[in-house]
Amino acid sequence: MGLQENIRDKGVLGAVAAQADDVFTRLTAGIDAGEFRRMLQGEPPGRPNPRLKPHSEGFLLHIKPTYYHESVTRFTHTYRLGLLSTYLFIVETITGILLMIWYAPSPERAYVDMILLLTNIPFGQFLRDMHRLGAEAMVAIVTLHMVRCYLTGSYKPPRQFTWFTGVLLLVMTLFLSFSGYLLPWDQLAFWAVTIGTSMAEAVPPAVVGETVNLLARGAPDIGANGLLRFYLLHVLFLPLLLILFFFVHYYKVVHFGISLPADEEEVGEDTANRVPADKRVYYLPDVLVDETSFLTVMTALLIVLTVFFFQAPLEHIANPQSTPLHTVAPWYFYWLQGLLKIADKFIAGVLLPGVLLVLLMAIPYLDYNPSRRGKDRMVAIVAGIGAGAVMIIWSWMGTPEYAVEGAPSVEIVQDVMPEEGSGLSREIGYKHLPLGVWRTDEEYDVHDHEFMELLHEFNSAVDYYRRADPDFNAPIGILTITQAQPKLKKLNWEITWFSADGKEGEYKKTFWLHEDSLYWEQYGWKHLFMGYVADGWKSLSGALAGE
Amino acid sequence: MHRLYTRSPIAKIMWGILSSLVGIIALLMVLVSENPRMEAQTINWEGRSIENGAKLFSDNCVICHGPDGKGILGRGPGLNSYYFFTDTGRLKDVGWVGSLEDYVKLTIAAGRPSKTESQWPEVMPTWGGQFGGPLRGDQVVDLTKFVMNWEGSALAQTPDEDPFQPFEDVIRPTEFQNTAYILLSEEEQAAALEEYRARNIRSPQEIWTGEACFACHNLEERQVDVYGQNGPNMADLYERAGSRVEGMTAEEYVYESIVNPAAYLVETYEQAGKMPQNFAEKLSEDEIQALVAWLLNPDREQ
Ligand code: HEM
Repeated sequence: MGLQENIRDKGVLGAVAAQADDVFTRLTAGIDAGEFRRMLQGEPPGRPNPRLKPHSEGFLLHIKPTYYHESVTRFTHTYRLGLLSTYLFIVETITGILLMIWYAPSPERAYVDMILLLTNIPFGQFLRDMHRLGAEAMVAIVTLHMVRCYLTGSYKPPRQFTWFTGVLLLVMTLFLSFSGYLLPWDQLAFWAVTIGTSMAEAVPPAVVGETVNLLARGAPDIGANGLLRFYLLHVLFLPLLLILFFFVHYYKVVHFGISLPADEEEVGEDTANRVPADKRVYYLPDVLVDETSFLTVMTALLIVLTVFFFQAPLEHIANPQSTPLHTVAPWYFYWLQGLLKIADKFIAGVLLPGVLLVLLMAIPYLDYNPSRRGKDRMVAIVAGIGAGAVMIIWSWMGTPEYAVEGAPSVEIVQDVMPEEGSGLSREIGYKHLPLGVWRTDEEYDVHDHEFMELLHEFNSAVDYYRRADPDFNAPIGILTITQAQPKLKKLNWEITWFSADGKEGEYKKTFWLHEDSLYWEQYGWKHLFMGYVADGWKSLSGALAGE
Repeated sequence: MHRLYTRSPIAKIMWGILSSLVGIIALLMVLVSENPRMEAQTINWEGRSIENGAKLFSDNCVICHGPDGKGILGRGPGLNSYYFFTDTGRLKDVGWVGSLEDYVKLTIAAGRPSKTESQWPEVMPTWGGQFGGPLRGDQVVDLTKFVMNWEGSALAQTPDEDPFQPFEDVIRPTEFQNTAYILLSEEEQAAALEEYRARNIRSPQEIWTGEACFACHNLEERQVDVYGQNGPNMADLYERAGSRVEGMTAEEYVYESIVNPAAYLVETYEQAGKMPQNFAEKLSEDEIQALVAWLLNPDREQ
C-alpha cells in the first residue's frame, strides 16, 4: 500500500506505526511486532509459522536449524561446548584485529610494541590479557568439546566425517594458539617456538626435516623472517582455514542433527532428524534466548577473569644468544615436552604425535561397536579415560617438576630469583630487601616478615640440595644486597660447596631490581588493580568536583 | 542431580541481564583504572629497562668506566659524575645542544671511533648494531636509561667527590679542569677566566699558533695560495687595513675583525664567515691589543 492511502485509511499515527512495523519486519527478516510480542509472552506461533522465516530469508540464521529435539537442548547433553568454541573464535578475531593496530611483526618492533600497548594504550593490557586468556580457553573448550563427543559416542555413523573435521579443527586451534605464542617476541615465546619448530627437523629423511624447519623459520634460526611467517600464519592463513573447516563441520552438524542422548533411540538407529512435533524446541525464541544468555554469562565470566585475575606474561626480550633455564612449552603442549624428555626427537616429536593424530581421526572407523550407550561401550570409555590419564601424566612430565637436571647451585638461585618470571625475591620486592650480607650459615632477626621468609626459603633450598645431592656438601649460600644506583639494588647470590672428593665449588649470579618494577604483578594475580581503580576514581571525582 | 539447566526463558533473560551488568561494571572499573595503571606500567618498564642496562653495563662497560661508574684513572672517564650530569659540564664543553640522554645514547651506539689522538688508551668502542657494534637497539636504550639513572647520585656529589678526570679535548686552562670550576655560575666562570688571562698574558706569536690562526691565514708570503685562499693574507695587512672601511683606522679595523669577524666579510675567500666568533672571550683585552699591533707591524718578528 502506498503511504497516502495508508494515511487515509489509518490516520497519521496509524500510518507511522504501520511503517515502523514494516521496518521492524524487514530487520528481523520476517518477524513483525505482534509476533515478537507473542514470542515474549510465550504464546505459540501463528500459522503458517512466521518464526521460520528468518531462517529462510535472513542470512545470519540460515545456517541454524529451525528447531531442535528437546533432549539435545538440555544443557548437560552438549554443555554448549561447540557453541562456546565458535564464540571464543569470534572473541579472538575481534580482540586480535584490535591488537593488530598496535603491532608490527618485526624483531625491532614487536617487543617494544608490546610494552607500548601495556603502557600507552587505554584498554591495551585488557585486550592483550583477554586475547591470551581467550586463546587458552579456546584450546581447553575445544578439547572438552571433543571429550563430550567421544563420551556420547557422537562420532559414530553417520557422523564420522563431522568428527574428522573436528579433529582438523582441533589441530588448527592448537597451531593458531601456538603461532600466536611467538608474536610478543620475548624469551618465553622465542624459545618455546624454537623448540617447537626444531621437532619438525626430526622428520626423516634429514633433507625433508631441514626443509620443513627452514620453511617454518624462514632461516636456520628464528628471526625476522620466522616472525613474519608466524604472524601471517596466525592472522591470516590459519584463521581462514579454520573458518572454512568450521563451516564444513557445522554444515555436517546441522545436516545430521545433534545426536540424541543414546538411551532415547534404538541401538544402531539415528533418529536425530525425525523429531516428533511435541518434542520440537524452536530456535525462535527458545534456543536463541538460551544461547544468547549463555554466551552473555560466558562473556561476563571472561571479562571478570581477565580484569581481576589473568595476566598475559611478558618476559625479557627474545635473546637468541641465551637460552633461559627451564624453557617451557605452553601448557597444552606439556605432554609433548614430557615425551621429549623420555624419547628422542623423532619418536617423541614426530612419530608419536603423528600416530596419535591419525588414531584420533580414525576413531569412528576403528570403533565398530554400533551402540552409543555408555554401558555397552565399557572398552571405549575405559580406553578414553586411560588415554586422558596418560596425557595428564605426560603433561606432568613436561613441567620442570620432572627430571630437569641442573646443578644444585643453579637450581637454588633459580628457586629464589629465577631468570624469568618473579620468584620470591621479586615478589616481596625492592622495599623488603634490606642492604647487607646475608648468609645461610647464620641466624638473623630482621623486623621484616617478608624478608625473613625469603631467607628461610633460601635456607631450605640450600638444605634440600645438600640432602639430595651427595656431590653438594657443606653448602653455604650468601646473598649480598647493595645499592647500585638510586632506586636500584644489586642482589648478588653466591653459593659455595664441597664436592664428594672434597673440591671446593663456587657459583655466582647477579640480578638487579628496580624499585618500580612490578614483576609480581606481571606473573601473579592483579592485586594492584583495585588500587588503580581507587586512584583513578579519586582523580576523576576530583576533576568532576573541581571544574 | 540438581539440574544445571533451567528451561524458564525469564530466568535466562535475568541471568543475561545480570551478567551484562557484571561485565559492564568490570569494564567501567578498567576504564577508571587506566590512567594510574598505565603510569605504573610505564615506570615498571622503565625500571626493567634500567635493570637490563645494569647487567649490560657490568658485562661490557665496567672495565673502563668502573664498577660504580666513577671511571678508572687514565682508562675511562666517570659517568656517575657531577661534571657529566650538570648543564654547565660535559655537554657545554663539547658543545652538544641536545639532551644528555641523546648524547649518552649516541656515544654508546656510535662510540668514538674517529678519535685518533685520544688521551685514553682505548677509544670508546661502537656498541650499536646499526653501526656494526655488538648490541641491539633495545640494549643501547637500556644502557642509556641505566647511565641516566645516576643523575640523582651524581648531582649530589661535592667537588671533592666528583671522580673528575680532565678531558684533553676541552680547551680550558688546566687549573680550571675540575668540578669546582664547573660549580661556578656563568659570571663567576667568566671572571675567573678573565683573572686567569690577566695572570697569563700570551705573546701574539703564542696566540697565533695556540689558537691556530695559521690554519686559515698566511703570515709571511705575499702570494695567492694555489688552492685558493682560505682567509685574508696577513703579510700585506698593514698596507690594506687602513683603507678597508671608510672612517676606520687600521687598528680599529683589525681589532673589530678579531672580536667580531663577521662584521666585514670579503666573500671571495673560500672560508668567508667561518672565522670563530668567540675570540673576545678567549683572549684578554691586553692580548688583543698586542695582537693588533703585532699584525700591523711591517717588521714583526715571526
Ligand atoms: C574450533 C573447533 C570446533 C568448533 C568451533 C566446533 C563447533 C561445533 C558445534 C557448534 C557443534 C554443535 C553443538 C555441540 O555439539 O556443542 C559441534 C558438534 C560436533 N563436534 Fe565440533 N567443534 C569444534 C571442534 C571439534 C572437535 C575437536 C571434535 C572432535 C574431534 C568435534 C566433533 C564434533 C562432533 C562429533 C559434533 C556432533 C555432536 C553431536 O551430533 O552430538 N568438534 N561442533
